[in-house]
Amino acid sequence: MFFHIVLERNMQLHPRHFGRNLREHLVSKLMKDVEGTCSGRHGFVVAITGVDSIGKGLIRDGTGFVTFPVKYQCVVFRPFKGEIVEAVVSMVNKMGFFAEAGPVQIFVSNHLIPDDMEFQSGDMPNYTTSDGSVKIQKDSEVRLKIIGTRVDATEIVRT
Amino acid sequence: MPRRRDEEEDMDDDDYEEDQYDEEEEEENDRSTRKRRRSDFIDDVAEEDEEEEEEDDDDDEDYGGGGGGARRHKAKKRGSQFFDLEAQVDSDEEEEEEEGEDDFIVDGGADLPDEDDGRRMHRRPLLAREDEQEDVEALERRIQARYARSSPQEYDEETTDVEQQALLPSVRDPKLWMVKCAIGREREAAVCLMQKCIDKGPEMQIRSAVALDHLKNYIYVEADKEAHVKEACKGLRNIYSQKVMLVPIREMTDVLSVESKAIDLSRDTWVRMKIGNYKGDLAKVVDVDNVRQRVTVKLIPRIDLQALANKLEGREVAKKKPFVPPPRFMNVDEARELHIRVERRRDPMTGDYFENIGGMLFKDGFLYKTVSMKSISTQNIKPTFDELEKFRTPGENGENDIASLSTLFANRKKGHFMKGDAVIVIKGDLKNLKGWVEKVDEENVHIRPEMKGLPKTLAVNQKELCKYFEPGNHVKVVSGTQEGATGMVVKVEQHVLIILSDTTKEHIRVFADDVVESSEVTTGITKIGDYELHDLVLLDNNSFGVIIRVESEAFQVLKGVPDRPEVALVKLREIKCKLEKKSNVQDKNKNTVSAKDVVRILEGPCKGKQGPVEHIFRGILFIYDRHHLEHAGFICAKATSCAVVGGSRANGSRNGDAYSRFDNLRTPPRIPPQSPRRFPRGGPPVDYGGRNRGGRGRHDALIGATVKIRLGPYKGCKGRVLEVKGQSVRVELEAMMKVVTGNIISDNVDVSTPYRDPPRYGMGSETPMHPSRTPLHPYMTPMRDSGATPIHDGMRTPMRDRAWNPYTPMSPPRDNWEDGNPASWGTSPQYQPGSPPSRAYEAPTPGSGWANTPGGNYSEAGTPRDSSSAYANAPSPYLPSTPGGQPMTPNSASYLPGTPGGQPMTPGTGGLDAMSPVIGSDNEGPWFMPDILVNVRRSGEDSVGVIREVLPDGSCKVVLGSSGNGETITALPAEIEIVPPRKNDKIKIMGGAQRGATGKLIGVDGTDGIVKVDDTLDVKILDMVILAKLAQP
Repeated sequence: MFFHIVLERNMQLHPRHFGRNLREHLVSKLMKDVEGTCSGRHGFVVAITGVDSIGKGLIRDGTGFVTFPVKYQCVVFRPFKGEIVEAVVSMVNKMGFFAEAGPVQIFVSNHLIPDDMEFQSGDMPNYTTSDGSVKIQKDSEVRLKIIGTRVDATEIVRT
Repeated sequence: MPRRRDEEEDMDDDDYEEDQYDEEEEEENDRSTRKRRRSDFIDDVAEEDEEEEEEDDDDDEDYGGGGGGARRHKAKKRGSQFFDLEAQVDSDEEEEEEEGEDDFIVDGGADLPDEDDGRRMHRRPLLAREDEQEDVEALERRIQARYARSSPQEYDEETTDVEQQALLPSVRDPKLWMVKCAIGREREAAVCLMQKCIDKGPEMQIRSAVALDHLKNYIYVEADKEAHVKEACKGLRNIYSQKVMLVPIREMTDVLSVESKAIDLSRDTWVRMKIGNYKGDLAKVVDVDNVRQRVTVKLIPRIDLQALANKLEGREVAKKKPFVPPPRFMNVDEARELHIRVERRRDPMTGDYFENIGGMLFKDGFLYKTVSMKSISTQNIKPTFDELEKFRTPGENGENDIASLSTLFANRKKGHFMKGDAVIVIKGDLKNLKGWVEKVDEENVHIRPEMKGLPKTLAVNQKELCKYFEPGNHVKVVSGTQEGATGMVVKVEQHVLIILSDTTKEHIRVFADDVVESSEVTTGITKIGDYELHDLVLLDNNSFGVIIRVESEAFQVLKGVPDRPEVALVKLREIKCKLEKKSNVQDKNKNTVSAKDVVRILEGPCKGKQGPVEHIFRGILFIYDRHHLEHAGFICAKATSCAVVGGSRANGSRNGDAYSRFDNLRTPPRIPPQSPRRFPRGGPPVDYGGRNRGGRGRHDALIGATVKIRLGPYKGCKGRVLEVKGQSVRVELEAMMKVVTGNIISDNVDVSTPYRDPPRYGMGSETPMHPSRTPLHPYMTPMRDSGATPIHDGMRTPMRDRAWNPYTPMSPPRDNWEDGNPASWGTSPQYQPGSPPSRAYEAPTPGSGWANTPGGNYSEAGTPRDSSSAYANAPSPYLPSTPGGQPMTPNSASYLPGTPGGQPMTPGTGGLDAMSPVIGSDNEGPWFMPDILVNVRRSGEDSVGVIREVLPDGSCKVVLGSSGNGETITALPAEIEIVPPRKNDKIKIMGGAQRGATGKLIGVDGTDGIVKVDDTLDVKILDMVILAKLAQP
């Protein structure tokens, strides 16, 4: 599920960026730092949509670095247990298949693939129903239900 | 008395109500109860009873008629309340004697109910008889009569608690004495006592002697007085009666009670055979005969049909079979082919048909065998899945299987269920009820049922419960073969879970009972002996491979066979050694491939796969592709069928292998001197080479370094390190044109070549300095990253990627520099905008992750992680304009000159240390801190020193001398005592929120010190205990 939330972060800025463009530097650094990161709590930070406020900078002793508390809005993607997502299959093997839903990697174990679907190995490994009407192979789109998640490579299941 | 007989015959002792109608009997009743009480200690009761019986015969169960007789007895009984009145009873003896024999046959059955009697007889010693000094024959007869009679009584088990209670010894009973005797002669001693009793008769006043099999060195003697015991033991060699100990009444029953091993054997229990051909085999109980202590079990037969055929036909019979035939189901047709007679019989009891072959019973291919209970073990049976699978034949349906599975749980260990566990009821009326454990009693588990409308908690026997998991739960396996593994439950099949392992991405089948819910992520065991998961090892037959899985006793090794994946199960002893040699090979395009380079496989079965090279050996690459699910992601391929993708990473100072290329570098990389083996990234050198990614490169920093050999035949020689292999290094000696191998530890090579710090951009203001000559350097812990690195990284190129790059924990940036290869900056990973998740994924050990990056040094103590990672992704290399910043803290500045070796390098580490994420975030951390003045107590003498470094194990490196210019020693915390500061002393705060800050003690108030903190100029009142005197320059 996607959320638009406000997060806060202490940014450290090198003194050489001090000047007119300080704000821009700060924002670009923030984007570099934050976008694409993943936290267990908020999920995957997709994009920063705006910076709400930049607090007063505090010069760090000894380094000259300045710490700014920055509040920013961002779009996060957080998969939940029980959530139904659509994903694109990226790899199929006999243990199940991998799918991707945006930044999230999903693994669907063959135990959770319906029983009537059989694994067919070969050049293009796939799972096919007995009547051949449905086939899951690389690049197919599947809808699945997440049964569990793990930060670092999110695990999920069910077609 | 007749009343009493009646009672006995009715087998109903509580039958008192009737009695009350009979006036006469009331009294009797009263008497009989009294008698029962008394009977415990009266020796003659037995005789009385016999006498009564005889009387009874006469009376022919006529109450009234027996009245007179009863009177007579009554009077006597009253008199004989005391046990030493045997003589009176004895008068009846003769009479009884005659009739007793008749009773033997006639009355045996009638006596059944008198169970008091039976017990009494067992308990009574022969004393009463001894009094009369009868001849042996009479004695024998009597004994025979007595025991013959008592035997049927054993069947009577209907004793009530009250009755049992009445039998307990009381103060009036003879006491039990414990007497020491010769070890191993316990029985003998007891027999001697008995013999003595027989010989001496009434002189002996002891009542019994007991030798217990399980008790060595002691026997028990029952007697009224200690003197009696001593008297009895007098003159017996085996008994040492100097010390006779009284057994407290309360413990008397324990002495003679037998711990009944309650083997709860029921049908469908899994057991293992203890002896014979089937030793160790799993068996299933199909029938239990508790009386005969025999069990019928179902086994997979291990029968050599040929041998059986031979035997049955009377041909030569091999005396001793050289091997045990493998378990195999019996095939009747096969047997018939061998002309073995197969009879088909119907079991009259169960109605099942069995095939009888040579006296053995078979059914559905299983052997049904009746064995003694002693020959099977029932405790802690943990059948493996394989075994269970075998037992599951087509004949058995799933339901049967569950039933048997549930019996698996019968003998699990204590503390199995914990509060909060989700459980499901597997037996009984509440079957399939789910709930949560609320409380665990001995046997019962109180659960909070999931269903509404049920009582709040239900008590369920723990055997009826099984843990319950749902798909998606993350669990850890806590017992069984897969112990230690973690993963996510993907399927629940009754009591079997299928888990997707976190690390191997394989499915594991485990019993629900063996797992607990956990968020932990582990692989299970990863190491046996010196070999760890993912090591490249040389095997016995000179083949080699990568360890892809560590099992309980063996490794799975992916062999270095390029064409097809070949996995071998290898025992520890079959591994010759670990291969740590680093080599380069050429790929298809003649580009050099070294470890960690990403290559793509162009040919072969794994064509198209791509991943970093983990190992190279004999032209074979082991590539790790995390999308490859087999063999733990490892792929073995010929180097010539691969191509490097995106240029060799080694060039980008990616890791230690790069150094092999820069061997010609003039300047050695900076390494921690004095103890070169102490490389920052982690544990003791033994661990070296463990996880490739984490371990690799630790020692590589040494390669190319100029060292001086301090010990051994080459002492004093200087040379350049060519190679580091485990604990030893190969050094090219300057003076001798020779390459020698030395041990890092024993030779203690020392970096000795002084070298200039090369100028570097943006460093104008930086003081040129020697890196790391101080003892501060050999940090071994993450602390180093946080604490010590500022010196290197902070002052030089903080952006240097080593911290960010999980592959190059140690690579000194300078090499890039001096190599004149600034381009490497371009490829250095700090610029890799790779998405952090993937990077986190790659980071193999916490130590090399980004949390402990030098960036942390610049961070506030409060936000170490954030800011460090923030820093990590900073777009350009920051160069601090100040020489490191640390010296700004007064303490460090002050202590500069004191550094041994004179390198003004280390200051401030202490100060910063405190801020470092490691310590800053953990106030409970090591108590001692660097830079404080301490007293070291060693071998009886006190000496003042300055802590230079706190090692991860809590011990400290202390430089002796108040200004820290003496010798460096490592001291245990117990040997160290903080020097309490005095007024106006410089202090360091060792605890609380201000931990690590320095200040000045401006006053002392009892146990509180008034401190002016240097940083903030705040005045604080702090406990003196957490203040330590700062080392003065």
